[in-house]
Amino acid sequence: MSSTIDSKVLLEANQIKIYFELEYYKHQGLRDLFITAVTHPIDYFFTKSELHKVIDGVSFKITKGMRLGLLGTNGSGKTTLCRCLAGMMSPQHGQITTQSEIRAIFDTGTGVMPELTGRENAYLLSRLFFPDLKDLTPIVEEAIAFSELGQFIDIPFRQYSKGMQARLMLSLISSRPTDILILDEVLDGADYFFQQKLSVRMKKFIESAGATIFVSHQADQIREVCDQVMVLENGKIAFWGNVEEGIQFYQQQHGQS
Amino acid sequence: MELKFFWVQVRELTIASLKSRYRKTFAGFVWVVLNPLLLFGVQSLVFKSFLKIELSNYYLFLLGGLLPWVFLSSTIQMSTPIFVTQSHLLRSFKINPMVILSAQIFDNFINFMASLFFTLIPFYYFYHKSFLGLSLLPIALLPLLIGTMALSLLLSLTNVFFRDTNFVVGFAFNLLFYLTPIFYPKNFIPPSWHWIVDYNPILYLLEPFRQLIYFDGHQFLISLMKGLFVSITLLVVGIITWKRKRNVFYHRL
Repeated sequence: MSSTIDSKVLLEANQIKIYFELEYYKHQGLRDLFITAVTHPIDYFFTKSELHKVIDGVSFKITKGMRLGLLGTNGSGKTTLCRCLAGMMSPQHGQITTQSEIRAIFDTGTGVMPELTGRENAYLLSRLFFPDLKDLTPIVEEAIAFSELGQFIDIPFRQYSKGMQARLMLSLISSRPTDILILDEVLDGADYFFQQKLSVRMKKFIESAGATIFVSHQADQIREVCDQVMVLENGKIAFWGNVEEGIQFYQQQHGQS
Repeated sequence: MELKFFWVQVRELTIASLKSRYRKTFAGFVWVVLNPLLLFGVQSLVFKSFLKIELSNYYLFLLGGLLPWVFLSSTIQMSTPIFVTQSHLLRSFKINPMVILSAQIFDNFINFMASLFFTLIPFYYFYHKSFLGLSLLPIALLPLLIGTMALSLLLSLTNVFFRDTNFVVGFAFNLLFYLTPIFYPKNFIPPSWHWIVDYNPILYLLEPFRQLIYFDGHQFLISLMKGLFVSITLLVVGIITWKRKRNVFYHRL
């Protein structure tokens, strides 16, 4: 990845496109594939599979301090775009230019090893998040304290409720500053009080360092966290701007008041 | 630096996986080491005492094939479904899937080394073999480790796209056990059937180890070269496949 020219620009996406061959959706197993190859050999070997464009030529910049809300219906490409920014996927066309550290969380209901305790999972997960850090103890213990899980931290992770899992995961991911934080529909698991507490922590966290990309279907959460909004539709940017206008645009598009 | 971080992640995950596996077990580690030993005991009884396979130092011969085979087949069978069983984790965080796969392989490799230690050392003592040859052991195991990684990568990726791969792999390894010269030497096979062995990549991965401990290393260098060639080729194919399928991988998880 090449360096960004403007030091305030943390990430620049230029005309990125991601598409999948529709072929992959048709076959569920080797048996299906075999049956298609035998019954419709001409179709199977010579028909070029259709392309499903999930992200279709999107360009934007993420600058320091930005708190971007990402809105869009299911299947509009929000998660794929976030995965692409996080470096999990790579665009087939266009490029993402960044030198920033990007941390992304797409679900909070998962531990690495459910048999291990919450504390052990916290250490393991933070090792996976921060392989460069020598001593994990201060940040993990701080995150555990912030999560307010108390004595539950030493019971197996599989016994946690969804909300408890969310508390631990969200505390961990926000325990150390990063350049860009991507949160994809993850606040829903935590209770209202913890969301409030987390929102304060995130605001502090954003002030100290980078930017946040926040995906949610809840207008209130977007208002709480974000200072601008991007609306994705069929893999394209349909709106970018003010939070209230963005929410209105999104709701009008889908006939909501 | 990237490689160092990758290794730190693999190491931590391997340790956690060992910890998780043996928690709430009665004898934990003992079972894992005991399993190949029992298999070895029963097979040597059947093939040496019942079927009377005529081969000098048959126990050492069998050990040289069986132990690496158990490592290879059990690792591949445990790794094939790993991306699907860990799909929740892989979809939730930015974690390199290769870290998860490598940790599974190293977890099995540690168990393999333990069973190797408990069997090979007494055998070497019993057969009055030179312990000097054992210093070449890490090199002899290289094709086996690389090849196991490559096959695990290819099959676990295939399993993401075709979920029945997991069943086929289990079945295929049952058949391959008989079709690969593990408990019988290659020269027992009639020449007209040699192609079965010649086109079996797994044999090339197992062979250097057996050459080292059983044949006193006559053909060791050649088998090592062949093994490295096959394993590295497989690994390159695996890595190219991963790079090409990376996007669809997340979509299909």
